Order: sequence, then structure tokens, then C-alpha cells
Amino acid sequence: MTGSTAVAALSGTQAAILAAYAELIEEVGSDDVSYRLVARRAGIAERTVFRNYPTRVDLLLATAAWIDATVFAREESHSIFDIPLAIRDAMQRYDARPELAHVVAEAAMRGVSGAAPSPGRAQLERLLDAEVSSLDAAQRRAVVVALSHLDSAAAWVTFRREFGMDSRDIADAAAWAAEAVLDGIRDRVAP
Amino acid sequence: MEESVDTATAILASAAALLRQHTFDDISYRALADEVGISERTVYRQYPTRAHLLAALSTWIEQAFFPLPPFVTLADFRTAVHERFRAFDASPAYAYVGARASAISLTLDAEPAYITRAIEAMLDVAAPTLNRRDRRRVAASLRYFSSAMFWARLRTGFDLDAGEICDAFDRAVGAVLARLPDRTRAQP
Repeated sequence: MTGSTAVAALSGTQAAILAAYAELIEEVGSDDVSYRLVARRAGIAERTVFRNYPTRVDLLLATAAWIDATVFAREESHSIFDIPLAIRDAMQRYDARPELAHVVAEAAMRGVSGAAPSPGRAQLERLLDAEVSSLDAAQRRAVVVALSHLDSAAAWVTFRREFGMDSRDIADAAAWAAEAVLDGIRDRVAP
Repeated sequence: MEESVDTATAILASAAALLRQHTFDDISYRALADEVGISERTVYRQYPTRAHLLAALSTWIEQAFFPLPPFVTLADFRTAVHERFRAFDASPAYAYVGARASAISLTLDAEPAYITRAIEAMLDVAAPTLNRRDRRRVAASLRYFSSAMFWARLRTGFDLDAGEICDAFDRAVGAVLARLPDRTRAQP
């Protein structure tokens, strides 16, 4: 399920809960927010929150998917060679909403019980197959996983935390790495 | 607070043991307190939030189970990372804790990880004349492709095993290093 279908399937109440929780995460600076507070912010009863999201993990994962599909929604790329541009934009959006970027990054790193770590995988594969169809399986996989890894909130977290980079430097470094990944296939486009 | 150093470690050791059967989210402070034989309040005093616990647990697991082999050359670096990816594959529950801890909003010190410094030192030797901006781009890329996050994403999102993850890592590192002009490389 992609991010946008996940959001389309939400009820009005669910969307209100997720938006309220995301708002509180930004205000408090932590995802450690009580159901009571979320309910009050959404203007509904606490038991309604529990009915929709029985555990904190349910609530957190649903919120991460909602944030990714709304706050961090990206314009669709029409070429695999445009992905570095999309990555540059995405990094700047993460930088503008740091608390939410951390939530999205962590949700994708929880293993089988977590969020799908590579929601953009299908799109990357589609673009690559349409433009560069001559790659062997290992080459194709290497390009898709590298771009998928770079096009994520985890890249923003790592570059900021480990290298103290600011918004511009992160956007530049992530896009630069994506260009490096594309270097090997630049002139292999199907005529 | 002589008690607290041992207590803190005992809590982490118990958490690591519980990870064999449970996910991190399923491990309650109550269960940790019972395991160690202390009060729940003491667990909270050591780790005020679950984020504190996750960060400390990840550091402890890293030291106990995933020590990074030292590396100086690029070849050593690749070998060291391969070894870690294989170790992650052998203990996935522990490796996911590391991946997750490196994504959370920081609660402890903001010091970069040891591997970050080691990569920077390696590049100082391998490409001594490279300008600062490109050096940071290369260092950041190598760091990110060698992370537990890379392993976690490829395992969960792409169903790859350690061998395939090592191959994808080698290709990504090759692509990044190919961007360096030949003359910036130190002569062997």
C-alpha cells in the first residue's frame, strides 16, 4: 500500500486523530504524548482514539504514514534522472519539520512490525525499467536500493546528526550521492 | 550513586535478553524491573523515557555484539562493513534496535558515532588533496551506506540477505568513489 492510498482510506475521525498527534509531536518535541491529549486536541473522546488505534505502535505507524503522504508529499518524478531533484526537495522539507522527519525515519526502521521502509520502490523500478532496460538483475537492484535509501528521512537524520550539516548541505550531499549512483547508467537509456 | 552504573547495565542486559522473544515496543519497564529485581521507579530514574532506553540499549548492544573492526584503507573499510552486515543478519532483532536508535530524536550526547570519525580519518589518508566540500559529501555517503539503517531497509523493504546487501553496498560505494578525480587519490 503506498502512502497516498493509505491516506485516502482514512475516515475523517482517523485523519483528525493523526493530524492532532502530529501537531502535538511538534509542540512537545517527542512522540511521548498521552492518548488523552491527542483526543482533546482532535476534539473527540479518548475511547474513540483507542478504538481506532488500540496501541501506541498502531498510532505511531499510522501517523508516520500520514505525515509522509501529506506533510512530506513529493511531486512525482517522470524520469529516474530527475530523482536527485526530488531528493533535494525532500531534504529541505524534512529540515523544515525536524520532529516529524524523525518520526518518519524511525517508523521505517522497526523491522517487520514497522512501516514499509521503501514506499517509493515501485515507482523507482517503473522509471528505471522504462528508461534503462538493459541492466542485469544485480545492477538494477543496486540502483533502486541506493536511490530508495537516499530518498528518505533517514538520510536527513544521518547527515544532520553525524556531520552537523545544515539544510543546504544535506540537500546537496544527498542529491550528489544520487547523481553518483546514476553515473553508471547515464548513457544506457533505451533509444 | 555507586549502585547506578551496575543497575543501568543490568537493565540493558535484561532488555537485550528480552529482545530474543519480544519486540522493543513490547518490553515494558515493569518487565525490566522484575527481571533485574528492582522497582519500576528505579528503571525510570535510569531511563526517563523509552527514547533514552532505546539509545542506551543500542550503544550497549553495539559494543557487546557488533564491534566495528578497525580500518585504515578503503579495502579494510569494505571488509569491516561486510562483517557487520553479516553479524546483523545473524542477530536481526539487535540490529533493528541499532537502526531505530540512529533515527530517533537525540536524547543523549550529540557526539558522532565512532565509524563516522573513522571514515573521515580514512578519507584524509586516501584522498589528501580533496577539497573539504567533496570530502564531506563522500564521507556522508559512505557513512550512510554502511549504516544499520541500510541493512534494515534492504532486509525489510527488499527481502535481501547479507550477501546481497554487501553487493549493493559495494556498488553504492564504488559509484561514490568513482566521482573522485584519480589524482586526488593517494599513491599506494
